[in-house]
Amino acid sequence: MMRYIKLVNFEINRFSKIYISLLLITLVSQLVGVIIGTKSFLNRALDIMLEEKISEAAYVTNYGGIDFTQIANSLWFQGPIALSAVALVFYIFLIWYRDWFGKNTFIYRLLMLPTSRLSIYLSKATAIFLMVLGLIALQIIILPMENALFNSYVPESLLNTEMSTSSIVKMNSVLNLVIPSTFTQFLLSYGIGLMAMSILFTAIMFERSFRIKGIILGLVFTGIAAALFLAPVFIMASESFYFYPNELFGIMTALGIIVTGLSIWLGSWLLKNRVTV
Amino acid sequence: MIEVKQISKKYGRKTILDGVSFTANKGEVTCLIGINGVGKTTTLKAIMGLTPYKGEILIDDQKMTNNSYEKITFIPDAPTMLPSMTVKQAMVFMEDFYTSWNPQRANQLMGFFKLKEETPISELSKGNTAKLNLMLGLSLDVDYVLMDEPFSGIDMFSREQIADVFASHLIEDRGVIITTHEIGDIEHLIDKVILLDNGKVLKEFNTEEMREDEGKSVVDVMREVYQS
Amino acid sequence: MNVNTREPVYLQVVRHFKEQIAIGKFVAGQEIPSRRELAASLNINPNTAQKAYKEMEEQGLIHTERNFPSQITTNETILQAVRQELILAAVDSFVDAIRPINVPVDELLQVVKEKYSEEIREGEEK
Repeated sequence: MMRYIKLVNFEINRFSKIYISLLLITLVSQLVGVIIGTKSFLNRALDIMLEEKISEAAYVTNYGGIDFTQIANSLWFQGPIALSAVALVFYIFLIWYRDWFGKNTFIYRLLMLPTSRLSIYLSKATAIFLMVLGLIALQIIILPMENALFNSYVPESLLNTEMSTSSIVKMNSVLNLVIPSTFTQFLLSYGIGLMAMSILFTAIMFERSFRIKGIILGLVFTGIAAALFLAPVFIMASESFYFYPNELFGIMTALGIIVTGLSIWLGSWLLKNRVTV
Repeated sequence: MIEVKQISKKYGRKTILDGVSFTANKGEVTCLIGINGVGKTTTLKAIMGLTPYKGEILIDDQKMTNNSYEKITFIPDAPTMLPSMTVKQAMVFMEDFYTSWNPQRANQLMGFFKLKEETPISELSKGNTAKLNLMLGLSLDVDYVLMDEPFSGIDMFSREQIADVFASHLIEDRGVIITTHEIGDIEHLIDKVILLDNGKVLKEFNTEEMREDEGKSVVDVMREVYQS
Repeated sequence: MNVNTREPVYLQVVRHFKEQIAIGKFVAGQEIPSRRELAASLNINPNTAQKAYKEMEEQGLIHTERNFPSQITTNETILQAVRQELILAAVDSFVDAIRPINVPVDELLQVVKEKYSEEIREGEEK
């Protein structure tokens, strides 16, 4: 257990430079987004009001006011979220392949540690999951700050509504996905995320075990896992059977747990018995 | 004792090992020799559980488990630590993960090899990388040490130093298996030789017995076996 | 010690010890290094050192009492024999080398005498 925790810590440290950059990029870009977005709206509103010689109230009636949803939809705001997501998905692959390739073959050391191969597998998964949670935590912390900054900037007369943090999240599909507001949603977002990661890890293990044949096996495995998880949806789509939403949720949760468990078991089994250094 | 029993291995259609069997005793140096590069490293990887194989390998009558890595270690001919680490960080890593890490021996070897703790691994020369590998591997209090081509591509003075360490630090009641394609520096240190070719064991003999009974050096036997 | 790879290393170690005894570097009753120390200093395998010590015990050159370091024997007869043996061995190989040339004994002895005293003189001057 201690070795597992040390491994998680080690894996996070290895990615820390890039990870901290991601956090900083998110923070800076979103703050800049709030300021620039607000400023450009205010400038435009001011120009129009001067040109057409109308009051703030008339401007709002004619052109509409501003609220945080407009900021949250900007590239400044969503760009870093997308960047972080892409970086972490990329890292799912890199976290394994970097140990095999390059001048220094760290995989020798890693697989010769006096610890189970399962803990090596899980430590990498845990590291990525913790990093995802860290990014979400940052977003949860800075969102109210950004909101407050925005509200202090915009004159009340031009503001549509002063939104609460939770309503900002609800109004924005991206934020709604990454910051779940209910437990069910949390299970959906992160459960599916974890499952997808374990499937990818296992596909990588297939490739590392059987090389070119392994890529095919990995794809087949991914297909089977996806089909298994989505089976109830297919069944409903074929209109041969109908599930109540509660039932569907229950069945898919169970299937998700089974698929994840199966992937982890198979992946760590491959790592233990079939992988070639 | 390490017992390798009838192990076979294929990469695709290519046969790397074809029913290789031998034993390596504790307290002895066993040398796997093969001129044609095939099979030596794979054998070591198989023993270490780093590649799948057919057949059976037992270490002191038991199969390899996670805890075996506290008892047996492998020193590959490539660096096994991250290039971003310093020598010191690599030592800390080993100490963190292995209960068999022996810091006194590590310091002794650091001094002997004149390695500096603050040097980044990415800046080590080929010779110093080999020394670092050796230092990290030999500082574990293990029963068996496996080394892959410890002398290849290394300058003469580093080779001499490594050969010195062989006699003074390496053997000490341990079982040692080393692979090599040229026997040179360590011929007189070896107890047992296993000649491999095309994935098979061609000949296996005890060096002192060979000298005593037939007056032949290891190189003499290699010449006979590989040139016939 | 220069190792000859065609002759058992342990016998070479035994000879090395005999030479040390013959020139008085090791004296009767003197403690000798442990097998590990010997292995490190001669850069040989500890098993070989072990085997050499066993051989020397059998020849009565050294003896070991339980839990004590091994010692050179105090038996003067054996020590004298060592000297004798080395002389004989050296002369044997010399004779082997010179035999094909067919030199008359007297001439040979004369040359040996001159060469040998010359060598000793040079050795002393250094």
